[in-house]
Amino acid sequence: MEDFWWNVLDTAQSILDGLMFGSIYALIGIGFTLIFGVMHKINLAYAAASIGGAYASLVVYVHLDAPALLVFLSAALASGLIGFLVYLCCFRFIPTERPLATLMSSVGMLIFIDEVVVHVTAGFPEPYPAIFDDVMLVIGPFWIRGDLLLIFGLSIVAMLVLLYVLYRTQLGIATRAVAQQPVAAQLCGISRETTNGLTFVISGMLGGLAGAMIGASVGVLSPLLALPLTVKGLIVTVIGGLGSIPGAIVAGLLVGAFENVFQFFRGVTERDMYVMLLLFFFLVVRPQGIFGRVSTRD
Amino acid sequence: MDFYYGMAQLIGVHTLLGLSAYVVLLTGQVSMAQAGFFAIGAYLGGMLTVLSDWHIVPAMLLAAVATALVAAIVGFPALRVKGLMLVVATLAFGEAVRLFWFNFDYQVAKGDIQVGPLGGEGFKQIRFFPENGWTTGEVALFIWFWVVLVMLALWWMDRSRAGAVLRAVGEDELAAQSVGINLTSVKVAAMGAGGFIAGLGGAIYAHYTTHIEHSNFGVVLATFAIAYPILGGLSNVLGTLIAVIFIQGVLVEALRFLGDWRNLLFGALIVLAMNVRPDGLFDARVTRLLKRLLGFKADA
Repeated sequence: MEDFWWNVLDTAQSILDGLMFGSIYALIGIGFTLIFGVMHKINLAYAAASIGGAYASLVVYVHLDAPALLVFLSAALASGLIGFLVYLCCFRFIPTERPLATLMSSVGMLIFIDEVVVHVTAGFPEPYPAIFDDVMLVIGPFWIRGDLLLIFGLSIVAMLVLLYVLYRTQLGIATRAVAQQPVAAQLCGISRETTNGLTFVISGMLGGLAGAMIGASVGVLSPLLALPLTVKGLIVTVIGGLGSIPGAIVAGLLVGAFENVFQFFRGVTERDMYVMLLLFFFLVVRPQGIFGRVSTRD
Repeated sequence: MDFYYGMAQLIGVHTLLGLSAYVVLLTGQVSMAQAGFFAIGAYLGGMLTVLSDWHIVPAMLLAAVATALVAAIVGFPALRVKGLMLVVATLAFGEAVRLFWFNFDYQVAKGDIQVGPLGGEGFKQIRFFPENGWTTGEVALFIWFWVVLVMLALWWMDRSRAGAVLRAVGEDELAAQSVGINLTSVKVAAMGAGGFIAGLGGAIYAHYTTHIEHSNFGVVLATFAIAYPILGGLSNVLGTLIAVIFIQGVLVEALRFLGDWRNLLFGALIVLAMNVRPDGLFDARVTRLLKRLLGFKADA
């Protein structure tokens, strides 16, 4: 009986940790889903651009010795810039009715960004600053890492800002208009190219923040993070429903908690296998995702 | 000379991988599971020759059939979703397969050593070729026999009704459905055929490298698998072959003196190629042009 309660407590603790880490997945998932919502395309270079932005912010950290919060902010800015470059190189000049071409060009960009990072850092992991990493909150039987709690808080703030931009500003109205009816939006004088480009910048900034959060929670940055993060981000996007922002948030937290529980019980090598099974479960039972609508087009 | 035989082996195996993705791409579906199918073929083929002492040809064929079955079974749930959702579903399946082999141990004592797959350490000692005294040249010839066979089969299929059906589904699903084509069965058949070719390629791959491990079959290999036909163009099987020769022969080997910068160039070249030629290097116009130059009647 004693053991049983310990197990329940451990499970609850790992769900709690996983939820906090899941907020990073949610940010990445939102980025994928935003671009999909507006352009009906997947930008596979997205997670690599996020890690790239986090790397770029190391310049501020190492050379100017800036405080961690400023480093996070510069990661977001750098990643927004990279996002715009990705848009220019991989999406702007390729005809929209060639989904294979943009898929492939964004893969090329993923490889390119990854290799630039490897070259600049000689492939070594780089230390990344964190805030409150020595604080440990104890609530009843649970322990909460201060840095993870901060990450969770920052992610929530970023999501609220995004929702504000999308639903309360001119730019947000334009973005949603292009997402719903590209032709009608253009007839109303909204530039499709500008809106698409800005969407890449906004999602890039979210990604840069996510990259910085990963660096802060793990303590180091490594170019090896880009591929697993791409896979996890895509899974979150599909489970949440393509194009649905609340879906990406819920699915990000769900995947974070789910994988942490399985990591606790089955070890790190088997963990991702269960995440894939979760995805397949959703594909069979609810292919449109948690919040997705049933649609007949791609 | 052995170096060139080695090159020929590598290009042959990668061509099979690319062709397996080509079949699926004809129906307009992007499958990132080809590396996973390749892994299933490699491990099964290796286990049959090493643990059961089979000859390589039946081992390859059985591995390919088994992989085709897995691919068809995966096809049913995965093809409920389409387009970009399918990319993610197949990507996840490929990763799940890789993780399965990462956690899979099955070792048997043979003589005084343990053989068989061993989780993260991989599957060593797949020594069918050296044990039977095949030279590098013979192995290269063996591989290319299968490559040519598969390419001829696909070329013939492309000119038959089956090819027309696949392309019809790829061009416009709604139109294809309205002329009475059963979308699900066509897509599942394409997945199955792709699985067969990937399984065949995987089994050959396991025997020519003699050592496979889970990390060989990751997302990178899956990306290569779809990159060959997309870069080469879908109008012709030759496009895939040319893309493989270009990437593995020119980019990887001839530019070896560039060292690590090669990968950087590789990424940039893909981006450039897709901007300049969104339909692949070998698109319909180039095919027509080549046919005219070679004196064929332009029928496409």
